[in-house]
Amino acid sequence: MKSDRVWTPYLLVAPAVLVFAFVVLLPALLNTGLSFVDWSGTNQMVFVGIDNFTRAFRDDIYLTAYRNTFGYIALTLILEVAVGLVMAGVVTMQGRRTAFYRIAFFVPVMLPMVVIAVLWSFVYSDDIGLINTALRSTGFDALALVWLGNPATALIAISVVSGWIYAGFYMAIFFAALQRIPTHIVEAATLDGASQWRIFFSVKVPMIRPMIEIAVLLCVTGAFQSFDLFYVMTNGGPDHATEIVTTYLVEVVFRFNNLGYGAALATIMTIVVLALGLIFARIRSKVGGVDVEY
Amino acid sequence: MLNTDTRPRRARLSPRISAIVYHSVLTAVSLFFVLPLVWMIVSSFKSKREIFDSPFALPTSLDFTVWTNAWERGDLGVYAVNSVITTVASVSGILVFGLLAAYAFSRLKFRFSKWLLLPFLLGLLLPVQSYLTAQSRLLDAFYILDTRWALILPYIGLGLSLAVFLLKGYLDSLPRELFEAARIDGAGDFRTLAQIVLPLMRPGLATVATFSVLSAWNEFLLATLYIQSDDLRTIPVGLLAFTGKYSTDYPTLFAALSIITIPMVGIYVVFHRQVINGITEGSVH
Repeated sequence: MKSDRVWTPYLLVAPAVLVFAFVVLLPALLNTGLSFVDWSGTNQMVFVGIDNFTRAFRDDIYLTAYRNTFGYIALTLILEVAVGLVMAGVVTMQGRRTAFYRIAFFVPVMLPMVVIAVLWSFVYSDDIGLINTALRSTGFDALALVWLGNPATALIAISVVSGWIYAGFYMAIFFAALQRIPTHIVEAATLDGASQWRIFFSVKVPMIRPMIEIAVLLCVTGAFQSFDLFYVMTNGGPDHATEIVTTYLVEVVFRFNNLGYGAALATIMTIVVLALGLIFARIRSKVGGVDVEY
Repeated sequence: MLNTDTRPRRARLSPRISAIVYHSVLTAVSLFFVLPLVWMIVSSFKSKREIFDSPFALPTSLDFTVWTNAWERGDLGVYAVNSVITTVASVSGILVFGLLAAYAFSRLKFRFSKWLLLPFLLGLLLPVQSYLTAQSRLLDAFYILDTRWALILPYIGLGLSLAVFLLKGYLDSLPRELFEAARIDGAGDFRTLAQIVLPLMRPGLATVATFSVLSAWNEFLLATLYIQSDDLRTIPVGLLAFTGKYSTDYPTLFAALSIITIPMVGIYVVFHRQVINGITEGSVH
């Protein structure tokens, strides 16, 4: 449709385009430029070519951060997506009323991550923590560990919190997808004598596969960008055991004032996330709309 | 249809017992989700000693002075006001700018429309960390770092991509005849927007609003990096500052956490369908 006046469309898109250009597009471009300089934010900018990138690949902490990030991704895939899928299977068993549970499982998703992080650092706390006081009062003193202060358990402990938040979220999107499976298909399988579990894994799960693929990518890209839990609960410690890409990036830029190097780290991260995002977009276009009606 | 399956069937539990087992399992799982929150509220009414000695016991008395203390000493009122201002301003921006742009991109033909739309697609994929460094310097250069605008503008930018694409999707699905009829009746673009698009877009706008409100209300990374003045801090950052100051005064900290959490859970219980829809649709788009 033609607009009534030539300039109307531009007037309509102008506020969105201008704000977006100022706070996202321009910074994204400038950030790419910053990747090639050495700059503390106050001194003279010096062009250093790809030095920042070669430095990143020799930076032990940065490599550790990637290892931890991938470990975290693997753990959250299990604790969020896999657990969420099983939960969705349980709440969609035939003839059960489950609205209450579904509402309860989703509560943590809408709470501020920082509140959850503070709350769970208390849950894990050595002296007043829910876990350790429960273990001690039931005689399992030996199992009461310093969960967040121990390099062996810290990453797993944070992943559990992440699972606590997002398992209900993935359950909700799987639930919405499962609700759309035509009932006659499930009925046919039931008539053939298949058990509920058999129907779930052999009939329902294959049918919601596109949604599972999307969930996996959402989980991977989300885990890549997570920050709040790590920053509040351990801030990368102990001894970089929970250092992830984003916590290290923020430290390099805002504590060490190494803007050029930080920008380069961000550029590398952007390439990784964009690559994952493009796969996401491909799947999405393959399956068409995936709007979730709960 | 004959059942030709001759394998021995497993003995089935009676429906009653299986229902009991089913609901016990799900109740146990629900407890795992709710227990930390219950523990948080209960512990706010206990002394530090009681939290330590008997984590599962109910408090001996419901003394709300610790809550009023937390509210006052933690400046939670100030942080709440800041969060409200930041959230309302940024969500209004997202909805208004997003709807205007979505209408133009969906319904009007104009030069460069593809090129103007493309960056918003990029915005859906880019992690905020990828432009954080430059963004902070840019905001600093315009002297808006450590003001409310330092959060409002980036939040609008963060939310616009989703708003434009979601609303454009809804608009694309409306029949063309509707807009042509309005045009023939002599309605200009702005009247079409106000009298046809706006009422029809309520569900889409509600989804965007829900998602954006929660994102802005809960946002932490930018809020902690861009705001230094204590009197401008939003709830997540203010709470963290508070935990730093009173790190061992557990009952007060639990009270502060409860004060922040309970209203949100209350709103969620009332509007749970809207909230779940908004978050899932906003995330999966």
